[in-house]
Amino acid sequence: MKVVVCHVEDLPAEERKIVKVGKRSIGVFNVDGEFYAISNRCPHQGGPLCVGRLSSWAESEIPGEVEVGGSARFVACPWHGWEYDLATGQSFMGPNEIGVKAFDVCVTSGAALSEDVAHAEEQRSPTATGREPGPYVAETFQVHVEADYVVIEI
Amino acid sequence: MITEVDVPSASEEGRLKDVALVDVDIHPRMTPADFVRRLPERWARHVERYGLRAPAIRDRYPRPRNKGVRADAWPETGFPGTDYGLLRKQLLDEHKIDFGIMLVLDALDSGYERPPLDAAICQVVNDWLVEEWLDRDDRLRGSIAVPIENPALAVAEIERVAADGRFVQILLPASAQESAGSPKYWPVYRAAAERGLPVAFHTGGYNDHGGTGRPSFYLEEHAGYGVIMQTLLTSLVCEGTFAEIPDLKIALVEGGALWLAALKWRLDDAWRQLRDEMPELDRLPSEYIREHVWLDTQPMEEPDNPKHFLQVLEQAGLEDRLMFATDYPHWDFDSPSSSLPRGLSREQRGKLLAGNAIELYGLPSKVARR
Amino acid sequence: MTAMTLTAAVDCDLHVAPSSLGTVLPYLDEYWRSYIEDSTVGLSHPGYPLGAATTGGTPPSSYDELAPVLNAANPHRAILTCLALDGVHRNPYYAAAMARAVNDWVREEFLVRDERLRAGIAVSPLDIPAAVQEVERLADDGRFAQILLPVRGDVPYGNRLYHPLYAVAQEHGFPIALHAWGRGGKAPSMTGVTATYLEDYSSNAQIAQVQMMSLVAEGVFTRFPQLKVVFMECGFSWLPPQLWRFDKDWKGVWREVPWVKERPSDYVRRHMRFTTEPAQLPQDPHQIAQVVEMVGPELLMYASDYPHQHGDGFERLLAALSDEDAESVLRGTAAAFYGDLIA
Repeated sequence: MKVVVCHVEDLPAEERKIVKVGKRSIGVFNVDGEFYAISNRCPHQGGPLCVGRLSSWAESEIPGEVEVGGSARFVACPWHGWEYDLATGQSFMGPNEIGVKAFDVCVTSGAALSEDVAHAEEQRSPTATGREPGPYVAETFQVHVEADYVVIEI
Repeated sequence: MITEVDVPSASEEGRLKDVALVDVDIHPRMTPADFVRRLPERWARHVERYGLRAPAIRDRYPRPRNKGVRADAWPETGFPGTDYGLLRKQLLDEHKIDFGIMLVLDALDSGYERPPLDAAICQVVNDWLVEEWLDRDDRLRGSIAVPIENPALAVAEIERVAADGRFVQILLPASAQESAGSPKYWPVYRAAAERGLPVAFHTGGYNDHGGTGRPSFYLEEHAGYGVIMQTLLTSLVCEGTFAEIPDLKIALVEGGALWLAALKWRLDDAWRQLRDEMPELDRLPSEYIREHVWLDTQPMEEPDNPKHFLQVLEQAGLEDRLMFATDYPHWDFDSPSSSLPRGLSREQRGKLLAGNAIELYGLPSKVARR
Repeated sequence: MTAMTLTAAVDCDLHVAPSSLGTVLPYLDEYWRSYIEDSTVGLSHPGYPLGAATTGGTPPSSYDELAPVLNAANPHRAILTCLALDGVHRNPYYAAAMARAVNDWVREEFLVRDERLRAGIAVSPLDIPAAVQEVERLADDGRFAQILLPVRGDVPYGNRLYHPLYAVAQEHGFPIALHAWGRGGKAPSMTGVTATYLEDYSSNAQIAQVQMMSLVAEGVFTRFPQLKVVFMECGFSWLPPQLWRFDKDWKGVWREVPWVKERPSDYVRRHMRFTTEPAQLPQDPHQIAQVVEMVGPELLMYASDYPHQHGDGFERLLAALSDEDAESVLRGTAAAFYGDLIA
């Protein structure tokens, strides 16, 4: 099912929206012009994952020397800080963890949208402050941008 | 000890429900302005001018993640835990908590101020807790903060506030200046035991970590909370505190719990060989622990295999002693709905979520439906 | 415990101690002999009061005293531990001189007389460059099997100040042995002193947990991927819940220590071992089996810990092990861990 989130101008880079689709709460992110959508429920204890801080990856071979870089697409749950890759929902904190659902996101032109497409309600969200793949995978969703509208595929 | 609910009459039965969830570790927090405003004038000026003596937490403690709190627990203004409305909504109402025990951590650095200020800080904390929290919500219960390093003043504070039955325990830091079992503190423990109030030791206090030196990283510090509890409990047992004060009950809060099994084994082995050092200990340390010690679940341990949690629960004899806590609003908050391990029986869940706390704190087992 | 069972075992921790300072004076130069003679320094160990049942007696102070003990058990190899440096005060140069003297004494009195024997190279943590030199002095001797440090130090063992010692340890394949106790006044309390020996005796387990976490959190195994560490006489039954705690916390705070690239328990299982004394276990054999499974018998290495007496925990541990696991605990794991050093 395709769900319209918003007009692409309403989701500029480094911003996010948390939207409600039926019972689901989904966070839609624009990171450096790339769109991602992920379930807003952390598989660990159910925290509001999409309110969490985004970071790029941190790499260290030598204690005290840390390189950060790349796309800031790792979201840390605002509760226990477990991190998930927005693109895949994959967690990186070792084995034995469950995934969080990621959804497909796209931007679709108004003309291309059919009447069956649902509209997502934006949720008021509290202000967000701020490796080795494991079996925890966050639910992600496909996102497309088709000219004007940000659309997620559930 | 008072009960908040009268014995239900036949006609009232329908309006009552069983208490299903007690949260034994909630942290409301004073704003600095609140704190100074409530101090006696002489100490308010002093604190404004000179601050507090113990090094600020941010200076002595490795950097906690997320400022130590859940990122979604910030009210419109102020730090998490300062706003009743948000706490009620996010915690009490959302999780349908029947009773919440509040522990105010602003008074855990006893002994670093001059005694009158040490005492004043605790008075401020306890009075604030009553006015801003206990008076506002009948689900809430309090812990009496006391200036533990000045035992006479600590006993005086207990005497001052204990008549308010909404205070259900005394609150002490896990890391005081002397070992927890030290006879220096026995008058305070006795005063608590005489009033039927447990003594809660909560993670915190200015601890030099003794022996080995301070950790560099928060990872070590946080994962070491349970290690500090092991030391604390070892001292309480081995210095004969429980033998001396048979009615004393203690709660160990925010140190996790599953370390207890191995601690019991090593203390028992030590006692079997070395018991003539402390003839006052006339039975196994594990028996003293069974009689006197309660623990909370938080931070909940999460073994890869949930079966191991159940095994250690049994090995440690925790089923009747473990009490659920969220530790709201800290970042390592345990959600009542999703943090308990799989495989607990219904009876075990009932004890962990409410039954054991009801027993320790003398809470009613039924409350009016909200 | 029958002699037959222990034959062919590797005993990772068997104590010896000079009966007095006079025993090691011949191994010191003239300056340090006069330093000692003109003072009240002594060699008593703060962690083993002679009257305590757990102490068991004085350790052998000569080969003639050791030989009957050794022959009764007849292990394949025994690694001697001399804790004399625990009683040394804070003059780092004195400590380094005593380290040399103690190691030379152990070699001359014991190691050269019996093929079965190896020893830890005792070093003082007060002066790490001196400790490095001492390791290099003895590295090619062929009779030393590990580097011996007290588990109770002034600074947690992951700290970078110790890293040069880990470098030389790794270079020569020496495990770092962190043995229970240390200087007096290093109990985990504000003052470093406990009111009862009971508390102090039980506290090596807490200290070991702190050191375990420090070594991992400070990235010692990222910097030194071949380094091995063994905890001696610190127990092991405390390990599983502490690893669960450590792993869980790492998942949330890994960004503080991004050089810890794997779960902490993975590092512990790969790089660390624990001796079997004290085997602080439940009474119920069914529960003992549970504990063994949670810990993982592959982490355990047999130690007689002679002459110390910690109760019957080890016998109950052995009774709970399969034959295969018992063989590993008694010999196989240590054979792999120490490799050529005890071959």
